[in-house]
Amino acid sequence: MCGILAVLGCSDDSQAKRVRVLELSRRLKHRGPDWSGIYQHGDFYLAHQRLAIIDPASGDQPLYNEDDTIVVTVNGEIYNHEELRKLLPNHEFKTGSDCDVIAHLYEEYGENFVDMLDGMFSFVLLDTRDDSFLVARDAIGITSLYIGWGLDGSIWISSELKGLNDDCEHFECFPPGHLYSSKLGGLKRWYNPPWFSEAIPNIPYDPLALRRTFENAVIKRLMTDVPFGVLLSGGLDSSLVASVTARHLARTKAAKQWGTQLHSFCVGLEGSPDLKAAKEVADYLGTVHHEFHFTVQDGIDAIEDVIYHIETYDVTTIRASTPMFLMSRKIKSLGVKMVLSGEGSDEVFGGYLYFHKAPNKEEFHRETCRKIKALHQYDCLRANKATSAWGLEARVPFLDKEFISVAMAIDPQWKMIKPGEGRIEKWVLRKAFEDEDRPYLPKHILYRQKEQFSDGVGYSWIDGLKEHAEQHVNDKMMQNAGHIFPHNTPNTKEAYYYRMIFERFFPQNSARLTVPGGASVACSTAKAIEWDAAWSNNLDPSGRAALGVHLSAYDARVTSVGSKLGATPGEMPARVVGVTATAPGLAIKS
Amino acid sequence: MCGILAVLGCIDCSQAKRSRIIELSGRLRHRGPDWSGLHCYEDCYLAHQRLAIVDPASGDQPLYNEDKTVVVTINGEIYNHKYLRDKLKSHTFRTGSDCEVIAHMYEEYGEDFVDMLDGMFSFVLLDTRDKSFIAARDAIGITPLYIGWGLDGSIWFASEMKALSDDCERFMSFLPGHIYSSKQGGMRRWYNPPWYAEQVPSGPYDPLALRAAFEKAVIKRLMTDVPFGVLLSGGLDSSLVASVASRHLAESEAACQWGSQLHTFCIGLKGSPDLKAAREVADYLRTRHHEFHFTVQEGIDALEEVIYHIETYDVTTIRASTPMFLMSRKIKSLGVKMVISGEGSDEIFGGYLYFHKAPNKEEFHHETCRKIKSLHLYDCLRANKSTSAWGLEARVPFLDKEFLNLAMSIDPEWKMVRPDLGRIEKWILRNAFDDNERPYLPKHILYRQKEQFSDGVGYSWIDGLRDLANKEVTDSMLMNASFIYPENTPTTKEAYYYRRIFEKYFPKNSARSTVPGGPSIACSTAKAVEWDAAWSKNLDPSGRAALGVHVAAYDEASAANKKPGLVNGPSHKVLEVPKEVAST
Repeated sequence: MCGILAVLGCSDDSQAKRVRVLELSRRLKHRGPDWSGIYQHGDFYLAHQRLAIIDPASGDQPLYNEDDTIVVTVNGEIYNHEELRKLLPNHEFKTGSDCDVIAHLYEEYGENFVDMLDGMFSFVLLDTRDDSFLVARDAIGITSLYIGWGLDGSIWISSELKGLNDDCEHFECFPPGHLYSSKLGGLKRWYNPPWFSEAIPNIPYDPLALRRTFENAVIKRLMTDVPFGVLLSGGLDSSLVASVTARHLARTKAAKQWGTQLHSFCVGLEGSPDLKAAKEVADYLGTVHHEFHFTVQDGIDAIEDVIYHIETYDVTTIRASTPMFLMSRKIKSLGVKMVLSGEGSDEVFGGYLYFHKAPNKEEFHRETCRKIKALHQYDCLRANKATSAWGLEARVPFLDKEFISVAMAIDPQWKMIKPGEGRIEKWVLRKAFEDEDRPYLPKHILYRQKEQFSDGVGYSWIDGLKEHAEQHVNDKMMQNAGHIFPHNTPNTKEAYYYRMIFERFFPQNSARLTVPGGASVACSTAKAIEWDAAWSNNLDPSGRAALGVHLSAYDARVTSVGSKLGATPGEMPARVVGVTATAPGLAIKS
Repeated sequence: MCGILAVLGCIDCSQAKRSRIIELSGRLRHRGPDWSGLHCYEDCYLAHQRLAIVDPASGDQPLYNEDKTVVVTINGEIYNHKYLRDKLKSHTFRTGSDCEVIAHMYEEYGEDFVDMLDGMFSFVLLDTRDKSFIAARDAIGITPLYIGWGLDGSIWFASEMKALSDDCERFMSFLPGHIYSSKQGGMRRWYNPPWYAEQVPSGPYDPLALRAAFEKAVIKRLMTDVPFGVLLSGGLDSSLVASVASRHLAESEAACQWGSQLHTFCIGLKGSPDLKAAREVADYLRTRHHEFHFTVQEGIDALEEVIYHIETYDVTTIRASTPMFLMSRKIKSLGVKMVISGEGSDEIFGGYLYFHKAPNKEEFHHETCRKIKSLHLYDCLRANKSTSAWGLEARVPFLDKEFLNLAMSIDPEWKMVRPDLGRIEKWILRNAFDDNERPYLPKHILYRQKEQFSDGVGYSWIDGLRDLANKEVTDSMLMNASFIYPENTPTTKEAYYYRRIFEKYFPKNSARSTVPGGPSIACSTAKAVEWDAAWSKNLDPSGRAALGVHVAAYDEASAANKKPGLVNGPSHKVLEVPKEVAST
């Protein structure tokens, strides 16, 4: 990842303003520790902090077209840049950077080229010939981006909130899949896939097509000039990413530079389910596996940092971000600059436990659509910012544009959970990778049931957080919470604790509006709460809520509802879960 | 390098205090991006940000003795840790970290072990059995350290000022070669080498002994578990470091892990003298050479950050730090975590041009002693903080304790600049590496004359800085300077510009007192200004001042003298003489 900051039309071209823009850009230095660049054209400033993944030697930004009239600052990866370069035979490229195509595509196609890009990106393009500019964010919002407005009439664009919150009168998340054009004077959506309208698709399920598309999505993402690895929690999603990567690594360019043995990474409290599950998968795949242990105290000590970096007060996100944040630091310290991660699968396939209660395929499908659309505020936000905090880049093959198109075109009947027919959640994905001849994963891993939320890193993590909050937030504070925080009022001490920290770093009203809220049960959208009358009485957005839908619950075993460690989807073996004692505070019903 | 922060006896063990200390320690994270640790014992906190160089897997800090009653947070490298471990046979070690010996040495020898350490270090050790503590800094001050006092009776120690400046009522540089002991309630100097008294030595000059001592100093510093390289400006000092390192790399443990080809790094404006000179040396030594180019604008854009990191308003230091700061970022982005650098040679051997005018060997020697003693405020500060800003560690073999002892015991007669005998500055060092059979460097490089200050990165760098300052600082600002800044009043617009930035980041009185000032000519101490009556009228601490002592100046004295204040300027360009960024 990189960090971008643009200040457009601020009517101030003084040295003082330049120094201020540089200072603000440095707040994004963690995203791009390798180099920085600033371009100034009158009162337009484009600043960049670079993490060099492709062409480290010459790809410093901003990037330009041939005659330097078009300037681009980009955070992202364009996986199809080589094909796009071929579409531009009469253009001369100055660098080997994958992002170099953007200025040239704009020259060739005007503002309508964005959908041609395959990858994750946020960019600002300035056309100095008429001082117009264009801003865009990738389809799903894998890369983070904010837009703000200054009282001086300026428009601000920044990879993170902290780049603009002190200098803008108002700011918002830049909506994913959109572009802002100064000529049009506003935002418009450039991403218009069939699933976006939420109409129910009816294409039959083709396991091999799904498998192939996913393999392609992974292979694309092996484009790198620097050392990389895979985040592996041992759950289905990250295990599939690791398996496919390991299988195709030998044939990639990356392997020539960095060896054909895949590095995999897992974090957890000592003895945690994720560590065990990941080790099993790593052994099976023969990866060079790295385990990182943290203590509850390490995690608690990192919370302020995490909230500063992730820029949210969402409880589930903070819980899951913290281990990922700690792990990213360790990964980076090994010299690894990029990791593949399993985000998005649960949204695309309805992998969350509450999907068991989806009343029909229409509701199921619409909920997956809603979940994908909200990803940029949850798991994308977490995966991107928890890694970028340490100059590590996360790539997410499940959010490949083509893969989403294929997966979201399948008749949702196939995705529905039918215990009677032995179809657990994400069955269509599991089935697609069931290969007797050359197994991707051992069957028991391929079909082990997903545990939700942050328990995978160790059962005491969330308990530790709750205890910590209990100590530092008293009942009086909770009583006044509605008055102090009228918007998205925290309703637990843990939420209150996070909120206090968030408000300290980001005190503006606009800042709190960038964080989603509303009713939720176990990560559902507000709409899906209607699926079960009991849920609305027992709202717990953070996910340990009683759903009564887990496989081990079917088996009438006492179990803890497990976890999803953010980026590394923390599925754990039902076996492991089954034998583990109930975590305190659980309300599992068998 | 790592970053350490210790707060001792603050009568507050609340979560709020813990959070505050974590936050302050976070200000040192650039020094140790790899991991962080915090040990809290009652109202004593030891925090650490780690750059993992030796034993990355298990050496996270703080470090402990066997029963965890003694806790240490340390920034540094102990080169003789294996030897020391051998002396501590009855002790069990938990990690492979070179710094772990410290807790055990303390158990064994009490507070008097510091002089046994060979390396660069700053540490705070807490003995929880009686809540006593000691803090110490290496002999020369290669690693930075500050000490501060809180109104609540607390004592603070931090690798950089920024971690304690907001919370201490008063703070200052922790003196190099000193130890603070809570039992004794004060500071005392643990470093007592013969040269410290500034008596004029009479030891013989043995070229081979000097060579051997330097080679040993370099070899020690090849101790690493991570990729490393050498900063190479193409001047004498850095070229010698590179030559010796590449010669001995193959035998080192590091080579088994990272290959036996040495990486070298150089920065400059495009076409600058340093780039050319370094390339020549790199070609000769067959290193894997990396060149980085920067523009004057990039340097200017980095100034605020440089001042924030280096924590000084000294003009020469800021000029020289900026290219080093930019280069460090690039080096780190290649995955290199440690570099060896040539600081210290000019101080030990009297390599600065003004030494040409030393009236006698006694004065010469005293001046070298004074220069070494103030290194921690200048080149050590620059080398350490410019690199640490990006999690890169700089090691400086010229400041090896043993090498220093030997070099400072030589009769200074040998160090005197004697054009009549063909002895240019640093002749004894050059001569020590003059080996006809296995040459360390080609003769013309070994004997090429040093250029001073930041011109090596490109002539327009300093001009660019001055232009900027002239634009941003008005005459009336400068006129009021002595009222606004009564202490160390800036005398040029450039100095004023830097000072303004410094005051923005470090507004306290204590902060400005950590930066040295006083009259100087071309990097001399105030005392040496007396060497030439003309100098006191033409003070320019930043070094382009007319000294009339350069070889080129001897040759073209008349031409040069026509441009007061920039005498060496034109001849630089004619001769294209390289100079050392790293050591100016």
